[in-house]
Amino acid sequence: MTKRVVATVVGITLFLAAWELFVRAFHVRKFVLRAPSTALAHLWKFRGDFASAALVTIQHAAFGLACALVVSLVLGAALSASRFAEWAVQPVLTLVQVVPWVAYVSSVVLWLGAGDRPAIFMVALACTPAYVFATVDGMRSADPATIELLASVDASRWEVLWRVRLPSAAPALFTASRFNMGFALAVAYFVEGANFSDEGIGSIGRRAASQSSGADALWASVFAMAILGFMGLIALSLLERVVLRWHVSQRPTAN
Amino acid sequence: MSRIVLRDLTKSFGALSVVDPLSLDIESGSFVSIIGPSGCGKTTLVRVIAGLEPASSGEVSVDGAPPREARMRKRVAMVPQQPGLLPWRTVRSNAHLLLDVNRRANPNDAADAMALLHEVGLSDFLQAYPHELSGGMQQRVALVRALTLHAPLLVMDEPFAALDEITRTEMRGMLNRLVEGRGVTVLFVTHSITEAVALSDRVLVSSPRPTNVVADIAIDLPRPRSVEVEDDPRFVELCAHVRHALHGGMRGTSETR
Repeated sequence: MTKRVVATVVGITLFLAAWELFVRAFHVRKFVLRAPSTALAHLWKFRGDFASAALVTIQHAAFGLACALVVSLVLGAALSASRFAEWAVQPVLTLVQVVPWVAYVSSVVLWLGAGDRPAIFMVALACTPAYVFATVDGMRSADPATIELLASVDASRWEVLWRVRLPSAAPALFTASRFNMGFALAVAYFVEGANFSDEGIGSIGRRAASQSSGADALWASVFAMAILGFMGLIALSLLERVVLRWHVSQRPTAN
Repeated sequence: MSRIVLRDLTKSFGALSVVDPLSLDIESGSFVSIIGPSGCGKTTLVRVIAGLEPASSGEVSVDGAPPREARMRKRVAMVPQQPGLLPWRTVRSNAHLLLDVNRRANPNDAADAMALLHEVGLSDFLQAYPHELSGGMQQRVALVRALTLHAPLLVMDEPFAALDEITRTEMRGMLNRLVEGRGVTVLFVTHSITEAVALSDRVLVSSPRPTNVVADIAIDLPRPRSVEVEDDPRFVELCAHVRHALHGGMRGTSETR
């Protein structure tokens, strides 16, 4: 475990150092790339602003993810029970996934108004397909022997869902969460920049990008998002270790 | 009164007939094995008796009631071929699974899962997860899980098929100890002649599909039975008897030794 932490720190440090050297050695233009030291200094200088913006962004991402998860569990449970429903809904979800959401964000903002609502809505919409697919696959992967066993004592569909299918879907849902975590933050950042409000890290980034002196703030917002994503993944890993302690993925590996 | 009565039972899937008209009475408290070649429809027969599959025609009664009703009252306890343990539940909580669902139908005299786990030698593994257990231990949990229901009928579908020979021998001894004196009727499906003879009061030899009983052999070995019964000349004799019936039933592949 400690070895792993050391490896992570070494990897990130080397990456940042290479970046820093590159920017300094080749005098890269400001908006193209800022040295990590410059961006981090800016982030530190305005840490109060960034912290309150981060709270907003975390809320957008977290509420959006939570909504997506709830909708997906209900929808996924229904779809895993019916092939026909699955075949009917899958193309729609695939469309939601492949159509560039960036294209219709402005329309959503017009519809839902400025502020939190379009951000949360877009995060939820963007994260739903992956969660639904994970729920359906996970629930279908439940051990048929156990399901037959529960049928032999006349367990209700609800009991089978709650006691067997839902926990069977947990590993797939965690995998989808890793993917959705980064996605949710990206969508939140973008919509915050597009929703005519001045809350969230995205709005800092947007304002910075439109000012000629904004390169430091822009890159500081990039680093702020990186830190949020990193913290989110750590939180997810900790949760996974508790919830999935029975699962193959959590067993100690020979090392 | 927990006997299984079959009257002219048939089961077919479309044009494929899986169980031929079959009539059978299974005495209360007896241990009956069905032995037959792979794919002969034994599992289908068991599923019909357990109320998981409707019969195509004929009558089935379990414990004086149609199988569906027996199933709704949790009067049939199953031990499947794969233990089907839930990987997120500990041994103790897996043993309790059948009592945790459809609670309204729980019997008043549900057996104590802890005592049973102790009886099968799993006292030290109560908090272990299934992946930490050997195949034999997992199947013991599955057996305890079935016995907690205190059901008059125990249905076991090749429960030891995936285990190694040494473990299977152990499991035979343990199963005999567990069911002797409990008054439970056991319907046991197997491929193994040794297993059928060592465990049963009666062995039904099935033909290849569609299932029909070609021989009904009483096993008159004394009870309680220990593993040593397998050294008894009578045991060897009965095994040979079952084997001849089995190969006689498999027309074209018969061999005598």
